[in-house]
Amino acid sequence: MTAILSRSDAEDLLYREAALLDEGAWDEWLSLYTEDALFWMPAWRDENTPTSDPQSELSLIYYEGRRGLEDRVFRARSGQSVASHPRPRCLHCISNVRLIESADNSAEVASAFTVFLHDVRADRTHHFFGRYRHTLRHEEGLWRIARKHILLLNDTIPTVVDFYSI
Amino acid sequence: MTIDLAGLIDDRPEDGVFRVDRAIFREPGIFDLEMRHIFEGGWVFLGLASQASAPHDFFTTHAGRVPVLITRDGDGQLHAFVNSCPHKGAQVAQTRAGNARLHVCPYHSWTFDSAGRNRGLKWQRAGCYSVAFNDGDHGLTPLPCFEEYRGFLFGSLVAAVPTLAEHLGGAARFLDFVVGQPDAGLELVPGAVTFTYDANWKLQLENCSDAYHFTSTHPSYVKIMERRQKGEGAVVVRSIWEQSQSWREDAEGIQGGSYSFEYGHVLNWGRIVPADTHPLYDHAEAIAARHGEAGRDWIFNMRNLTIFPNLQIAENASSQLRVIQPLDVGRTLMRTWCIAPKAESGTARHQRIRQYEDFFNPSGMATPDDTVAYESCQRGHASRVDPWLQGYARGMTASREGGNSLSEAIGAAPMRSVLADSQLCDETLYHNYYREWARRMAAAA
Repeated sequence: MTAILSRSDAEDLLYREAALLDEGAWDEWLSLYTEDALFWMPAWRDENTPTSDPQSELSLIYYEGRRGLEDRVFRARSGQSVASHPRPRCLHCISNVRLIESADNSAEVASAFTVFLHDVRADRTHHFFGRYRHTLRHEEGLWRIARKHILLLNDTIPTVVDFYSI
Repeated sequence: MTIDLAGLIDDRPEDGVFRVDRAIFREPGIFDLEMRHIFEGGWVFLGLASQASAPHDFFTTHAGRVPVLITRDGDGQLHAFVNSCPHKGAQVAQTRAGNARLHVCPYHSWTFDSAGRNRGLKWQRAGCYSVAFNDGDHGLTPLPCFEEYRGFLFGSLVAAVPTLAEHLGGAARFLDFVVGQPDAGLELVPGAVTFTYDANWKLQLENCSDAYHFTSTHPSYVKIMERRQKGEGAVVVRSIWEQSQSWREDAEGIQGGSYSFEYGHVLNWGRIVPADTHPLYDHAEAIAARHGEAGRDWIFNMRNLTIFPNLQIAENASSQLRVIQPLDVGRTLMRTWCIAPKAESGTARHQRIRQYEDFFNPSGMATPDDTVAYESCQRGHASRVDPWLQGYARGMTASREGGNSLSEAIGAAPMRSVLADSQLCDETLYHNYYREWARRMAAAA
């Protein structure tokens, strides 16, 4: 049995991921990822070039495996991180979804994102925007995220950026 | 408003009193004076020589609010200029870094070589310039002072400053430990990270030297480390903190301390025993051969060094170089880099980078808890009800003149020192910041 991803399947998954992040349904969000998922937001080498080798160059976030993301969720919920509480209100808007590659049980999807973040404590709004690349794998009857590459275009970070605001 | 600058730091050692008025974090008038008399009135850190390593390489930076261009000329000599065309003021270099024999101003095409000399003044002969103008110098304006210490570049926008050697004084010994790990020099790992926070620059200045906040501000980070030790979290991101006792409340004996140097520089440190989570572990013997055993122990210790007012080097879970760039009284830009020995193995570099991202990044699991706390302090500094902050009192009876056996072992000669157990968490090292601050600001009074 093989599965082929359509663009509307891809959109469904991306929009669902966005909604789970925005709603704070982070256990469900984690379940979208494969056990060995790679989660990567590079830094920038210079004005126009993001870092491309996470072993020898710095990233903003880089985890090999879903457990790294589980750590982040644990911290955000721990009640022991002043940056994480009160939780900012976030809205992910995803567009420009393109199916880059679609094969049996695997696919690559490109998209654009904007995240609006309202920091309730400081009464200010930030936004983050950039491009996603999702590598999807069909596993146990479901499409899961095996790799997510987040290219943050406005990388002068206003105080905090976390997994839920990118 | 007239500001009584001398009245803002209540420094009475004979009475056991050191207090700071919240106004220094809040008042725009004070900020303007700080820019003129501290950031634009003395030595500031500009960058590393390795950022312009080949002939005609350049990079851009700031001294206070002033844009600065650092170039290496064709003969290999480094220069620092105000990055502003003498003609109309536009920046002659537009990018963060690059390589250029000639810098052409984008506004009217005045052209400068990598030594700053004017190589072309568009349509000069047709310009009907006066003799006085034609006889003048039309090159880029060099910074009045520009010197290097072991690859660290410093400059001053005013000429009346001590030599860099005098300015760094005993703190230079601790820059030596940053460079010599073991000996092939230092580089910035590609990928600079920049962030802002909405609070005064001195909150960052203090936090780097603040041992008291760690277990209060970062318990979530500590918990993550514990999860990972138990195999519950990410396994690839092990941390040096696993082996450190200095943040554990029950650790006994001397666990760290502080040194204060002339001109406002401070070092605070915590004991960390060499362990395989440290990226330098494989080099421990080579480091001991070069720096002695005492030097090796110092290099493995957690060390936070501030070269007043804008350079901070934090070496603990990884190694970070931070440059503080104040934007406004309540807004600060931080430029940060992971620094690493050039000769480091791929595995050690990987380990260093992963620890760095989790701890130091504004997208990591520790720094955001600091910067959010700074913003909270900044809001609190609106209060004039009791202007005096009480955060400068810990360690008052432990602070002593001169160094101690640990500094003597490496030939460092601080003005003052504190030896601390895990709970002392010295705050007298801030006195050094504010005594230098008061000395520099006295010029404004």
